[in-house]
Amino acid sequence: MADKPIVGEKRAFMTGNEAVTWAALAAGAHIMYGYPITPQNEIMHYWTRMAPKYDRGFLQTEDELSAGFTCIGGVLAGKRAFTGTAGPGTILMQEPLSMAEMMRIPMVTVICQRGGPSTATVIYSQQETRLTCFGGNGEGYRLVYSTAGQQDLFDYTIKAFNVAWKYRFPTFILSDGYQSKMREPLTIYDPEERGIKMVETEPLLGGTGIPGVDRDPRHLRNTYNMEDELYQVVMDMDQEYKRIAPEVVEYKAMETEDAELVLVAHGIVSRATEGAVRVLREQGYRVGHFRPITLRPFPGEALKEAVAKARRVLVVESSMGQLAGMVKEELYDLSVPVTGYFRPGEGITAEEVVEQVRGR
Amino acid sequence: MGQNFKLAMAGEGGQGVQSVAMILTEGAYDSGREAIYIPNFGVEQRGGVSIAFVQIGSKPIEAPKFKTADMVVALSDRAVLRTGMYVGPETVFIYDESTKATEEDLPRQAKKIIPIPAIAIAKEEFNPRVFNIIIMGAIIGLSQVLTEEQAREAIENKLGYKFEQKPELREMNFNALSRGINLVQGLL
Repeated sequence: MADKPIVGEKRAFMTGNEAVTWAALAAGAHIMYGYPITPQNEIMHYWTRMAPKYDRGFLQTEDELSAGFTCIGGVLAGKRAFTGTAGPGTILMQEPLSMAEMMRIPMVTVICQRGGPSTATVIYSQQETRLTCFGGNGEGYRLVYSTAGQQDLFDYTIKAFNVAWKYRFPTFILSDGYQSKMREPLTIYDPEERGIKMVETEPLLGGTGIPGVDRDPRHLRNTYNMEDELYQVVMDMDQEYKRIAPEVVEYKAMETEDAELVLVAHGIVSRATEGAVRVLREQGYRVGHFRPITLRPFPGEALKEAVAKARRVLVVESSMGQLAGMVKEELYDLSVPVTGYFRPGEGITAEEVVEQVRGR
Repeated sequence: MGQNFKLAMAGEGGQGVQSVAMILTEGAYDSGREAIYIPNFGVEQRGGVSIAFVQIGSKPIEAPKFKTADMVVALSDRAVLRTGMYVGPETVFIYDESTKATEEDLPRQAKKIIPIPAIAIAKEEFNPRVFNIIIMGAIIGLSQVLTEEQAREAIENKLGYKFEQKPELREMNFNALSRGINLVQGLL
């Protein structure tokens, strides 16, 4: 059996799906559960190729419902378990994901957004943003990282396992078909050598000793009889989610101090908008950029600060306003107008963002 | 051409468009450049138009896709029609002579339109399977995005395992590469 999947640091040129797989291996993920769907497939393919070398497990299920539920099972057994899906698969997986929310299951899910609604395209979109953040019949008690390329995918996949197991909320890597399929350079590394300690996992069920005598009993429930009982559970969860939010939120603000126009974008689109800011600044436009890295919890306070002097906010995204909705909710009590440049299911380039801004 | 070299290459699934894109970008990455490559195809398992978007430059590359390419390569009838949208007034448009593209199908806005007989040459002088390597030769011959030596290394890295079993394939691929480079000499 090979020892560590990655020793030291290595420059690599690979797809996002490979980057996720290497990160999961490096993070010590024990098992992946999954059902094939483009553009997520290669995470499974690479994982099944490499997992046996490092004594890791894999289970292909009959659909995404099962992939989600078996992943919960893996976590209950104390395994650092993950799954991945896309498009219609993301819809099917909402039932187990909702259960994971209710039972505070630290499962990690990689979402590779494709076009929608329905089967649509296998290529790319940002149309699973709302579903990833708020899918299921709950309140969206999830931790969602929106990545912008291969380095992010590697870094945040490792981080996702730690954040999930530290805070015990289901945690997501929100990627997309572009990131899945494109190849670009990144640095892969062994987290331990960078001083990143992996949070220990433990069985959530079937611990040793007699419950109530040797240890506290653990009662994981997703069913309640009384409405007031459920109310209390949800309110406690809400309080806990709000408590940890300041520790979890991440964002990147660029040139916002004096910005009259602030562009807001997440994921891969933020690379185009950041590029546009660089071009526009050279041309004398006072433009800034705000990228929420966590979409749940949303860095609302930081966003408010970033737009403090702005006369306009322009949300740029490959969906019909899913991010813009979140932005508007955060900025509701400010007078700054929030506008949008929306290209549902289509990639966005720096050039067209520049045109949009100059055209105003 | 702009700071980053932008290439859109399209053909029928199975023509080897994606392989060439991968060899080109890995070659560029290995020679210390920044590179991004993204494949684009429909839901068909076979027979659709397959497009590769490639960017190679000296600075980290922003968005993986672009509106207008520096060079567009179209290798089938449908690919000619599909890729017109990536052609601007600074774009060099290359297509294979064997396509039945008419004057009207071709993107007139292009800076230059270059027909090349890669499919015919592959068939007559080499083997139909190295058709994509001739195309790769034409791309680097026109764009200088890799030297011939770097391109050879990139091919070796990608196909070396096949060459181990059949050493004559190495020579054929390298000759096809040179043939592609020579094919476009003096055309720009």
